[in-house]
Amino acid sequence: MSAAADGEAALAERLRQRVASQFGRSLHIRTLDTGSCAVCEQEIRLLSAPHYDLHRLGFFLTPAPRHADLLMVTGPMIRAFDVAARKTYEAMPGPKLVVATGACALGGVYPADAFVHGTVGEILPVDVWIPGCPPSPLALLQGLLVAVDRLAEKVSGLSFTADGADS
Amino acid sequence: MTTLQPRPGPAASLLTAINGTTLRDRGGAETVAVPAAQLETAAHHLAAGGARLADLFAADGDQVTLRLIWGFDTERQYLITETPLDSPEYPPLSDIAPAAFTEECEIYEQFGVRPASGKPLNRVALPPHAGKDFPRLGHQPPEAPAEAHAPHTVGGQAFEFPFGPVRQVGVESLYYGLVTSGEEIVDLYLFTWHKHRGLEWRLRGRRPAEAMFLAERTEGLSATAVTWALAAAVESALGAEPPPGALLTRGIALELERLYNHAAAMAALCQSTGLSVGQAAAEIALERLLRVNAATFGHRYLFGVLDAGGVRRAPDQAALRDGLPGAYGELRRAADALLGTNSFMDRLEATGIVTTEQARRLGLVGPVARAAGVPIDSRLDQPTAPYSVHPPALAVRDAGDVLARFRVMLDEAADSVRLIGDLLDAGPGDGATALPTGGGSGLGWAESPRGEALAWVSLDADGRITRARLRPASVRNWRGFDDAARSQNVFTDIPIIEASFWLTVAGTAR
Amino acid sequence: MPLWFARGLRRGIVTTHYPARPDPSAACLPTPPAFRTGMIDRQLAGELVAAGPSQALHRDGDVLVFDVSRCTACGRCQEVAPLAVTPSGEFELAGTSQAAFVKKIGLVLEAGQ
Repeated sequence: MSAAADGEAALAERLRQRVASQFGRSLHIRTLDTGSCAVCEQEIRLLSAPHYDLHRLGFFLTPAPRHADLLMVTGPMIRAFDVAARKTYEAMPGPKLVVATGACALGGVYPADAFVHGTVGEILPVDVWIPGCPPSPLALLQGLLVAVDRLAEKVSGLSFTADGADS
Repeated sequence: MTTLQPRPGPAASLLTAINGTTLRDRGGAETVAVPAAQLETAAHHLAAGGARLADLFAADGDQVTLRLIWGFDTERQYLITETPLDSPEYPPLSDIAPAAFTEECEIYEQFGVRPASGKPLNRVALPPHAGKDFPRLGHQPPEAPAEAHAPHTVGGQAFEFPFGPVRQVGVESLYYGLVTSGEEIVDLYLFTWHKHRGLEWRLRGRRPAEAMFLAERTEGLSATAVTWALAAAVESALGAEPPPGALLTRGIALELERLYNHAAAMAALCQSTGLSVGQAAAEIALERLLRVNAATFGHRYLFGVLDAGGVRRAPDQAALRDGLPGAYGELRRAADALLGTNSFMDRLEATGIVTTEQARRLGLVGPVARAAGVPIDSRLDQPTAPYSVHPPALAVRDAGDVLARFRVMLDEAADSVRLIGDLLDAGPGDGATALPTGGGSGLGWAESPRGEALAWVSLDADGRITRARLRPASVRNWRGFDDAARSQNVFTDIPIIEASFWLTVAGTAR
Repeated sequence: MPLWFARGLRRGIVTTHYPARPDPSAACLPTPPAFRTGMIDRQLAGELVAAGPSQALHRDGDVLVFDVSRCTACGRCQEVAPLAVTPSGEFELAGTSQAAFVKKIGLVLEAGQ
């Protein structure tokens, strides 16, 4: 990369960290169901339940995209839902984050075909991906904390080999 | 095709009326061939004889074949009528059984065949842009269906507006058409095509074991019930009998599913009435029940338990015996506190009434029907193992309002705990019977937390699915929602009524 | 003092300390698999890919490619080869780039391959 491009990338990263640290104090989440089986939504609802209590971490659920900082998207992005998805994203003021949540949203359940795009990333710019079917509320909390830079992501350092060997 | 002797009962009486033939009699479901010319007579005869139209669907082949599934809840069986259509029109069944209207619309979109009444059919499952090449189970209809419109009008005093599909935070997308004269709900109709994933289309060509993965995700909150119905349909088609221990395990999983769903409905009821303390208490119970599921079967929502021919996992009996009493105790304490909270009870009483007549006419199932005085429960009406040996208690109320549905769910939850104890004592296990080779067709069913879930499957000689019909309870019960919302309710009652129905959009849109 | 309030104070706080401390309930969660690299040859890799119902596993020559983001932790690959494939125990899987999820597992080749 050229020196100028390096400089730009560093600036973008600093800006992202500053935005993330702002969000870390109080972040409003809007959910978006693009065709889930309803179980991911139940796990997301449990984030505000006593066992998990996302409010203690400064996160809040909001029905209004205008108030939201983060869009938590479930489902394989059914094509018939495209317009609603884009309108919701565009109704959110910047800066904003998109978190693709659950195996459907990450392309693990439905391949792209006439019904679905297969992944949320086809329609919306995704910042954080949270695997799971469904991701448990603990996994969702980790994902939200990664999104606002309060936790470092782990998955790139894991090899998923039992003997620790890499390829 | 050999002509079987029909056993005495509704099928025999039908056959006499129409001079038809029995095709199959297996596993509590008899299939009768009814020529197209006799379909109307047959439907009248069955409806007059007290049968409940449980499902109506079609399958493609040399001709489009229409199948109706009738439930004979006192004779303990299902009757399937099979009618190959030689023309694109068939008798208007929704005139005989109004419950059939949504299915008639769906059949038109997927297969292009329609009832002969000439009444307009609405778009239900397929999105507006679905053209000739859009994947269908059959053929594109000659004319596009109409957009759904409010069936009831109030002559100039009301306005109509769409709401959704992106609505409250943390709930599924659902698109309502609301007709209101201010606060009061004059009419409410639903669109669910934005969540249509084409599950029935995807199952074609798959083997039963592969199909289970997608079937679980049809309506994830009823994963056990839908996979049980599909597995039972496959087992009936091929003549396989799961091991008795596996059937006990299925029962335990289904009752755990019922328990956590009823806890979740209670939490949603509290949220809809703005009672945060009650919501928190119910969510504590719900979370504990989900952890019991995870400890017992390795998944909070019981995915991956059932398989065609049996089950993939046995329950961790010690974990279940250990965890369930405490979790249910939380649920019971929260429920008792709510039943003693007048401000909460006032919101539920006389809200969202479904009358007995509406419940029967619309073919509703599950707690919604039972709370409206219709005593149906497929665990009792069409019992198969383990419920034939360990029957549940029937929870029925009369008032048909949100409170009655809440009480029915609480009664069922208490009974589920008792049933789980009995099933555990009977010795559940794992294991699956190998599926015989060959083809066939069969019907399967299970009582999901929302009501009777049906599945019908036909397999080719290679054992692959040629047609799978999945009918979770949500397909039936959403049509009761607009009647319930209309009975003198206001906007703020809609979430309360929705929580008391506790349906899913995924289950109906599939 | 109302009874429900007093009971709540007596029973204490239900919420988790996560992320400050690990949560014991995580032990029962289903997790993606971990593969024993010394035990998976081409034949087994083919069987594992065939067993998986999601889009998570595929074979690329002599490498088994595992996309963790697409795994539903259904356990079917573990059923095929319980000694070679075991639960990873990892549920903290959120990532900030799609590349971070794609893991390559080298296959055991016979001598001369």
